[in-house]
Amino acid sequence: MKRIILTFAATLLFGMAMAQNAKLPENVTIKTLDGKTVETSVIQNDGKPMIISFWATWCKPCNRELNAIKEVYEDWQAETGVKLVAISIDDARSSAKVRPHVDGNGWEYEVYLDPNQDFKRAMNVVNVPHTFLVNGKGEIVWQHTAYVDGSEDELFELVKKLANGEEI
Amino acid sequence: MKRFFISLSIIFFATAALVSCDKIEQQSDGTYTVYAGAVGEWNAGQGVADKSQRALLEKFTGVRCNNCPTADEQIATTLDNYAGKLIAISIHDSISSFCNPYPNSLDLRTAVGTSWSEGFGRTTSSPSPAALVNRMKKDGSYDIFYSFSSLSTYIDPIISQDAKVAIGVAAARNNGSLDVTVDLEFLESLSDKLTVTLAVIEDGLIATQLLPDGHTRDTAYVHNHILRGVVTDVWGADVDCTGAAGEKRVALFSTSNVNPEWNLDNCHIVAFVSKKENREVLNVAECEIE
Amino acid sequence: MAGAFAAFSFPFSTSEAQGIMGGHVTGNVQWDGQMSRRDSVIGASDVPEKILSNARADILYTNGNFSAGLRYEGYLGPMLGFDSKYSGQGIANYFVSYKTQDFAVTAGHFYEQFGNGMTLRAYEDRFLGIDNALRGIGVMYRPFRGITLKGVLGQQRYYWETRGLVRGVDGEVSLNDLVESWSEAKTRLTLGASFVSKYEGDETVMSDIPGYKLQLPKNVGAGAVRIDLASGGFGLQAEYARKGQDPSMMNNYIYKPGEALWVSASYSQKGLSANIQAKRVDNMCFKSVRSESGEMLYINYTPAITKQHTYAFLSMYPYATQSTGEMGLQGDFMYKFKKETLLGGKYGTDVHLNASLITGLDTTIVGGKGTDGYTSSFFGTGETFYGDVSLEIAKKLSSKLKLTATYGYVLFNPVVEAHAGDIHHNHVLIADLTWKINRKNVLRFEAEWMGSDSKYTAEVDDKRCGDWIMGLVEYNFTSSWFLSLSDQYAYNDGVGNYYNISVGYTKGATRLQVGYGKQREGIICIGGVCRNVPASNGLTFSLTTSF
Repeated sequence: MKRIILTFAATLLFGMAMAQNAKLPENVTIKTLDGKTVETSVIQNDGKPMIISFWATWCKPCNRELNAIKEVYEDWQAETGVKLVAISIDDARSSAKVRPHVDGNGWEYEVYLDPNQDFKRAMNVVNVPHTFLVNGKGEIVWQHTAYVDGSEDELFELVKKLANGEEI
Repeated sequence: MKRFFISLSIIFFATAALVSCDKIEQQSDGTYTVYAGAVGEWNAGQGVADKSQRALLEKFTGVRCNNCPTADEQIATTLDNYAGKLIAISIHDSISSFCNPYPNSLDLRTAVGTSWSEGFGRTTSSPSPAALVNRMKKDGSYDIFYSFSSLSTYIDPIISQDAKVAIGVAAARNNGSLDVTVDLEFLESLSDKLTVTLAVIEDGLIATQLLPDGHTRDTAYVHNHILRGVVTDVWGADVDCTGAAGEKRVALFSTSNVNPEWNLDNCHIVAFVSKKENREVLNVAECEIE
Repeated sequence: MAGAFAAFSFPFSTSEAQGIMGGHVTGNVQWDGQMSRRDSVIGASDVPEKILSNARADILYTNGNFSAGLRYEGYLGPMLGFDSKYSGQGIANYFVSYKTQDFAVTAGHFYEQFGNGMTLRAYEDRFLGIDNALRGIGVMYRPFRGITLKGVLGQQRYYWETRGLVRGVDGEVSLNDLVESWSEAKTRLTLGASFVSKYEGDETVMSDIPGYKLQLPKNVGAGAVRIDLASGGFGLQAEYARKGQDPSMMNNYIYKPGEALWVSASYSQKGLSANIQAKRVDNMCFKSVRSESGEMLYINYTPAITKQHTYAFLSMYPYATQSTGEMGLQGDFMYKFKKETLLGGKYGTDVHLNASLITGLDTTIVGGKGTDGYTSSFFGTGETFYGDVSLEIAKKLSSKLKLTATYGYVLFNPVVEAHAGDIHHNHVLIADLTWKINRKNVLRFEAEWMGSDSKYTAEVDDKRCGDWIMGLVEYNFTSSWFLSLSDQYAYNDGVGNYYNISVGYTKGATRLQVGYGKQREGIICIGGVCRNVPASNGLTFSLTTSF
């Protein structure tokens, strides 16, 4: 058993050394707000950058972040073509509240549910908010956990770089 | 592809059906419990749901007794007529020569059968078939009778009365031994000392039998209600009770002496409570073995 | 271990290996620790180990449709509140998985949820120390577009062991996907059904009646049906579950079948939403080992419908589902006053109203252990367990100032935490002010007050009793650094003064936080599942990172 684990760990480390920017997983099951089961391959933006934000209805900083971006989202989209995809990790207790919550806050984001937290695990998210930047090739190029008022400006600087084809 | 889908779905839902849940039957007192006290020890019980009065018919028979098959038919009809109110035991003993088994045929005689026949005063010259209902006595000796056409005159007076004591029995196999739980509920107060006897009875035994024509031996004759053994002592186990009306007692009996020749799937347990003094049966019940 | 390092150094020199290996390795590491010293006022005790720490690392390898993972967990002195059975270290979770669009199979440890989890929910919450992962095999298959079938077979994690045996199947039909002509319909309808069964061998459990033991069902099943309907701004979700005879330690070995119903209806449009949920749970606790009374080995999950409050005083009395029986009703209402309106002002105003009421069932006792236990009327209610009302108004005062003001009322019956005491009635006021000084510097102030009719007594020893005030100041320098100072003080009828100072540093997906102060004993709840945490007094730290 020990040998198997060691071999496996070695293989993983081996792979890690080889890893380039990890791609956004394509076949993790998530749900749309109207209850349809889909795969994460639906998360796309025609070669333009994407912000993937893991959040929950009960998470205060998440809501502050998404509300702050809401104010400037139209400008961001016009300038860079960026799309924000919000992944709710609300479980059965609050997942039915996600859609009213999104509408009530007037968010125009693409929102998915991750009730079994498969996507959260696949993306190694420990705490929310946890925000990823994905470039036009579908590679995860940056990530950040926690939100402080004003840090959306830092995020947008990075989005602009990506939209201009610069490395982060 | 469609066939694949259908077969997969069938497997899917068959699995679902297989992993369904067990249903435990509720006892008459609303519990889902089973008695698990020490073997042979009487404790306060939960009573008996079926409080009817039943009668016990013990039949003395033999494979070499040419009138016995006719008696078997009469008993079978009577049992049907009484629909559960009458319970029969067929006794083969080593006293009567009618019981000597034919060569290459099953020996239906038992030590307990011999003890009982002896106890009821049967001798080598006693005629067969003979019967005794509820071990009743008449003029000081057991009221054994030979006319099977008048069975109801013995049974009706018993079952037309309300039971003084109700008896319930349950039996289960338990790692090679046989566990039998007996419940008693006193409906009237009784001052007699009582015993409970538990008999193992087997149906569907094949043994060569002499037929009514006096010479044909039917090698495929089916014998029912055959006494195979007892879980208690031959004359029963003493009941530890006060006999006050309303009293409920329960005891667990167990035997590891399960004869490998017994086919427990065809066996049932007959339990009867009797007066210790004169062996008169007060009530009787039977149950399958789980 | 030397072998692993040898393998580790080797591949750097072989560039062609990239093509063979392909895939990606990602992972996350979390390390939490604490030191606690005795404090008789708050009830904190000395820790003989001096330092307690929980550590874990997940490593995930993905290559196309294939993925595999390993998790190390180490509890070298489990932190306060974590069961001592966690003590130890090792590989706690491993799996391999292959998944395409229409088919998936996972062997090893996995997590799964059927519907809302009323029949099966294998999940983990690392902060609560709950992990009931299934170890076994899980499959998913989509024979047609719109139909998803799932099957699971496995044992449940029990600290460092696995216990029980759980089998389950689930089917879900998305009618809009299945029926061609409905694919573009505005109304979306999804139906689902699940069935889960556990097996456990016989054991001797004596009844209350001397000499009698219980006849235990070896297989216990639970099934549920569900619907998810969305049309325009309207949404309706419902699930109904039933469970067979399941005498267990949790329900005092009664045989009454379990039952649960959950309904959620909502309407929303931009800037306005309303949601109402109703729930009835009756003897629905479902564990894979009947004698387990702790927080592990739950097979199902019955969601609490009360709002998950985040402010300290509103969440002081968290509510967890009483799976033995409860009824509940909860409503949420959100409205956004638009910019440049009378109530909206220059920046608009958000209003959020929430109310909930949870009661016990109206039951009639029919017996104790080994009987049906009780009967209950479907619509009848019993004693009040919990109720709350909260009104939250969030308003941006200027480009630099944002205020959230909250009023809350909480009614709490200590019986839900299985201890004595009168019902507590609390009023809470909260002001939460964020001051964005400039792009790099942000200050946040939080002031809370709670007035309660409860009084601290030594007999009941509920340290939440009394009237409280709290202040918090948080300073953030960009999104990298934060410093926070807070104090909670019982100024009337209570005991305790809980001060805390924390410093945090975040860079990318790495976060380090160090705190010093006193932690209240109490129940922390995440997602309606709660754990008791003893008081502590001292230093805590937490490091998390993802890669």
